[in-house]
Amino acid sequence: MNMIETRNLTKSYGDFTAVSELSLHIPKGSVYGFLGPNGAGKSTTMKMFLGLTRPTSGTFKIDGKQYPKDRVAILKEIGSLIEAPAFYGNLTGEENLEIIRKILGLPKSAVDDALEMVGLMQFKKRLAKKYSLGMKQRLGLAGALLGQPPILILDEPTNGLDPVGIHEIRTLIRSLPQKFQCTVLVSSHLLSEIELMADEIGILNHGHLLFEGSLDQLKDGAARRGYPTENLEEMFLALIDEDNQRRGGQR
Amino acid sequence: MNFGIEWAKMKRSGFVPAFLAGGALGAFVPVIQMAVRSENDTGFLGKPLEILLEANWSMIAMLNVMLIVAGACMMYHIEYEERGIQKIRTLPTKEWHLTAGKFLILMIASFGALVLETVGLGGCGIYWFEISEDFFTELLKNMGYVMVLTLPTVIIMLMIASWFQNMWISLGIGVLCVFTATMRQTDNGLLSLFPFAMPFQTVYEANVNDLIAAAAEVIAFAMIGWGIEKIRKKTV
Amino acid sequence: MHFFSILGVEIKKIRRSKILLLLFLPLVILWIPNVLNADMNFQTVIEGISPEHNFFIQSFMGMAWFMMPASFVVCTVLLVQTERANRGILKMLSMPISTAKLCVTKWILLLILAAVQMLFMVGMYFICAEIASSTQNYSFTLPLSFIMEEAGILFVTSIPMIACFWMIAVCIQTPIFSVGIGLALIVPSVLISNTKMWFLYPICYPFYMLIQKYGTLASDGSSQEIPLVPWLAAACIMTGIFIAVSCIRFGREERR
Repeated sequence: MNMIETRNLTKSYGDFTAVSELSLHIPKGSVYGFLGPNGAGKSTTMKMFLGLTRPTSGTFKIDGKQYPKDRVAILKEIGSLIEAPAFYGNLTGEENLEIIRKILGLPKSAVDDALEMVGLMQFKKRLAKKYSLGMKQRLGLAGALLGQPPILILDEPTNGLDPVGIHEIRTLIRSLPQKFQCTVLVSSHLLSEIELMADEIGILNHGHLLFEGSLDQLKDGAARRGYPTENLEEMFLALIDEDNQRRGGQR
Repeated sequence: MNFGIEWAKMKRSGFVPAFLAGGALGAFVPVIQMAVRSENDTGFLGKPLEILLEANWSMIAMLNVMLIVAGACMMYHIEYEERGIQKIRTLPTKEWHLTAGKFLILMIASFGALVLETVGLGGCGIYWFEISEDFFTELLKNMGYVMVLTLPTVIIMLMIASWFQNMWISLGIGVLCVFTATMRQTDNGLLSLFPFAMPFQTVYEANVNDLIAAAAEVIAFAMIGWGIEKIRKKTV
Repeated sequence: MHFFSILGVEIKKIRRSKILLLLFLPLVILWIPNVLNADMNFQTVIEGISPEHNFFIQSFMGMAWFMMPASFVVCTVLLVQTERANRGILKMLSMPISTAKLCVTKWILLLILAAVQMLFMVGMYFICAEIASSTQNYSFTLPLSFIMEEAGILFVTSIPMIACFWMIAVCIQTPIFSVGIGLALIVPSVLISNTKMWFLYPICYPFYMLIQKYGTLASDGSSQEIPLVPWLAAACIMTGIFIAVSCIRFGREERR
């Protein structure tokens, strides 16, 4: 069963098409890796799921619910981290989560649970504007994990983290489906990173879906077309490059 | 609507101290005025409150309107500064809950300033004038009148502040509107229905029609704001 | 880095900010009623002021007492926020430029904006005076030299005030306080310009100049003496202090 499904989802800004005829299938209980270079349309797609921007055409269903009819019902099920972390600078990390907790109507313990999970417990009394980039990212992640929602949408969650932090957060994301029976949609521009987290992969370039399936399927397909499969990053670059060539050398 | 959430967001933003300081400043306006030129003012014929309001109200009202302008700008500045509002929009809540919460807080804050100023006027009455029994009823009546007349300013300024992510644009428009309101003296017609000009009226100038107009404006602005919010959602 | 190239950079930073529109709009709001009520100027003859002088001085007083100071409060917010919004200030502080120079440049930029607004005002005056002249069949237009002199005096006397607002914006980090204090300072300026100690309050200088001019125009030449020595001394000392404090405090918060 698919938790998130899109049909010919398209978003254009004037004559620029950010997302074009996208049809995604994100299975329930999986970690779905959303891969593509900067500006491929990953964030735009995720923003559409959250109702932050409106599709130009096409539809999507989340847990059987349709946007915009069931907007609030959809948002009740999603925890999200989009682009740069969004928060209130004049409040502490704990107070920021407290606000989200109140809106979601969760028990008081949820805030500490989330802080514990992302390793921010000892900095919870510090003002959010005084956080380092990595701490802000962790705060955003805590906001997404608050209340253990059935769907998580995470846009480049390891941005700004140090190697230890990256490893820690990857392991956390990897463990989420078993821990909370949730579905995770996570984006990245590194195939090597997605490989470590995701069960399913979708590759996006210039708003078009180049590939959707498991990592093994991707490797098989690439081998058949003569791409280097021993080095994942090179394979990804070759794939993107071929697509760019097809579009007349546009980058 | 959740008043508590909006209240929690205003922590450490300087919002409450600003309104307390503004209210205190407004309360001192008549005191200073009386102390400097009491011999002129007490000599006039007429009701003490009328003399006091005549001499001070335009200045106090101006302070209040500017407080509302600055307060509304601040409320949305903290939303936009680190994109807090974007997080709220991804949560299962309706945007008008946020707006209504902010309206309540700004209303209460400006009422607080008005109460302080009323105390200041009352003090001046007791100290410098021989007051009759109806002084305090009229003083309270004035406060009530102005409270109602303040509401259109509160709602429209919040709307302006919510439309612009750069605080100085909202502030610039707010200041422009205050300026337009100060021209009321030269033009007493339609301009006195201008939201920013309404709080400049006192109980001696305003009548029941003005209260009805204020209520109508609040409803009208709320509906306009709701409509614009609908359009914004459609165009993002 | 050369001063003028820093100034060029600062001007570039406020591109697309629509600040010129915000400086211009209040003047339109100010002039429309003045043109519509141009006939009111004929009732002032009793006070000894000619209708054309009254037409000029009423509008300029309307600008000087509130709109001019308030515009600068808005401009200071613009300058501070463009630096802070995306932490541009950190980049600027890491460049090989003296911070004091940067701070003074921004103040000069405020002065340029003030000059632009004053030129808008003069331009609007001549347009509106022409319109009023044709509707009232009476020449309201005063000679260019007279208007330029008055506008020049207004601009020069607003320099200490702008320095004061800039110091407030630099020193007070919490925006609601810097804006609130700036706006609150404007409110009592009319009150203070009526007292003997007016020269200690920079915000009322431009307005005070116009009150004096009004007196001169109304009483046909016999002008009241402006106490030049204490005023000039106070203005220079205060401006110096304002600028010095802003330069010392500029960027301090970010470099802690």
